[in-house]
Amino acid sequence: MRSVSGTRRLLRWIGNGLLVVLLVWTLVPFYWMVATSLKKDKEIYGFEATLVPRQPTLANYTRLFAATPFTKYVRNSTIIACSTTILSLVFGCLGAYALARLRFPGRNLIARGLVFTYLVPPALLFIPLFTVISTLRLVDTHQGLILTYLSFSVPFCTWLLMGYFRSVPLELEEAALVDGCTRLGSLVRVILPMSLPALAVVAFFSFTQSWNEFLYANVFVNSVEVRTITTGLTLFVVEDVFFWGPMMGASFLSALPPLVLYLIFQRWVVKGLTLGAVKG
Amino acid sequence: MSYDLFFRSRTPAPPVETSAVRLTTPRARPILPALDGDMSSGAHEAVAGRERIVPVGGAQVRPRNRLSLTVRGEGRLAYALLAPTLLVILFLVAYPFCAAIYLSVQDKMVGAPGRWVGLANYAELFRDDVFARTAWNSVVYTAVAVALKFVLGLTMALVLDQERRFNNFFRTLLFVPWAVPVIIVALNWRWIFDDLSGFLNNFLITTHLSSNIISWLSDPGLAMGCVIAVVVWAGTPFYSMTFLAGLQAIPRELYEAAEIDGASIVQQFLHITVPRLRTIFLTTVMLSTIWTATNLQFVLVLTRGGPASRTEIFPHLAYTTALGARRLGMGAAVSLVFFPLLAILILLLTRRMLRQADE
Repeated sequence: MRSVSGTRRLLRWIGNGLLVVLLVWTLVPFYWMVATSLKKDKEIYGFEATLVPRQPTLANYTRLFAATPFTKYVRNSTIIACSTTILSLVFGCLGAYALARLRFPGRNLIARGLVFTYLVPPALLFIPLFTVISTLRLVDTHQGLILTYLSFSVPFCTWLLMGYFRSVPLELEEAALVDGCTRLGSLVRVILPMSLPALAVVAFFSFTQSWNEFLYANVFVNSVEVRTITTGLTLFVVEDVFFWGPMMGASFLSALPPLVLYLIFQRWVVKGLTLGAVKG
Repeated sequence: MSYDLFFRSRTPAPPVETSAVRLTTPRARPILPALDGDMSSGAHEAVAGRERIVPVGGAQVRPRNRLSLTVRGEGRLAYALLAPTLLVILFLVAYPFCAAIYLSVQDKMVGAPGRWVGLANYAELFRDDVFARTAWNSVVYTAVAVALKFVLGLTMALVLDQERRFNNFFRTLLFVPWAVPVIIVALNWRWIFDDLSGFLNNFLITTHLSSNIISWLSDPGLAMGCVIAVVVWAGTPFYSMTFLAGLQAIPRELYEAAEIDGASIVQQFLHITVPRLRTIFLTTVMLSTIWTATNLQFVLVLTRGGPASRTEIFPHLAYTTALGARRLGMGAAVSLVFFPLLAILILLLTRRMLRQADE
């Protein structure tokens, strides 16, 4: 007994030590990103390069807004991520309700197809999708990108919402149906109000995924007018020369929306993850 | 147990009738172990990997208690509701998937019609030296990255599972990389690894740990290690999140009981923690393997497959073939070559996730 409590104390100290190491490992890259964005070029490159900015300046940020299409990229990312989120939520709610509450031939097959679809990686689909988008003449359009984002967002939203809808007590819906509510009516009046937190979480996942997406955005869009923020960052690379100051500033700002959302939703993130969400 | 992962606080608990139905279903009962009665309430509900307890029959059980609501003609309504989802699946996933196979037997270039070439693309690919190297790299890259993420993720989860002040705050900080777009992670690390002014060389020289500049990403011996380090940095939080959720769902009484019986810490870990987390381990590793193996952003930003193909992996090779060399047919062949292995994983995972969802 004594040896166990002794080991426990030892473990606590090892744990605290490891925690420090893990925190350093996790946070140093963020420090470097922010520090670089606050430096003058003189401190970023060459012999006078510093670890801590000596004369912090917001010059990189002002340059970002004044001299680059950064705001345009932010606007594009917002439009695309929001549209994708709204569409997938609507499609997801309808589909999930059918899968959770209705009985029909092919139900299990569709559920299976949904998961399978979600797991098929974009790295496999981007080449044929490129020909699809070209044929539809949707290259370099918001619509084209939104359409391709639906390919990962809709299966995922439907799948997660199906799980949530199932946990809404059946009696409530039965009561509504007995009182003459239609199926759609009970979805809107009973299920959705009870699933608001779930809807918020699913929206969070969908938005973050679309905001962070890079591969499709890179392949299906070239023009500055439609570019999203993730591909816009490559603007700061010219002929293999990186402009690290503004790039780190842009990186930091572009990471903020998903970061803030993560801080708000972190309690629920894990549930989505164990159901097979987002990246790993 | 403050880690409230789920909607327990707001969403009502699942209806009691569910378990009643389950018990009266002959297929589910024999599999319920005796222990389940003690643990099925409270913390146990929170485990994602509940399938050990009711492994089969879930799918059949569920719809049966919905029978009271079934009306004729529900099928039509169901398909109407599912129409948008099915359209997305069919036109944006199923069709492209088949189109990839069709493309891979053509010599299609960007902007030009393709000709049927049979298996010529595959034959060319298998003859190429780059193929063998890419295959080897892909396996090493995926295996090492997943193994390291697992070890580091489990360590992180165990550390965060200990009791200490401000633990919630530390947890938030350690999980932050998960929320950052991969492309930003990759760019940021490319800058950290920069030869002349990057953080690493800067730091090593300032602290006199090294006197010369190390070319992290262009040294053939270091490049793959660096890429893997970045992948691990970005991917570890996913592991720790799922592992921590699993750890916190283990009833503390189990450990107390084991302690009274004189089990050492190591024994407790091996005989309580590991078996309890087994399903979570498996699901997490499988999901992560798929995503790690198919993510090309790290390689694209950090090394572009170089130096001398040392970090070339299949998704990146498919990308450069299809878009750099503009050979869509060949690119499709490259991406399909590594798919069969993944397909097995995807099929297994699909089964697991359906089973978990049916509980």
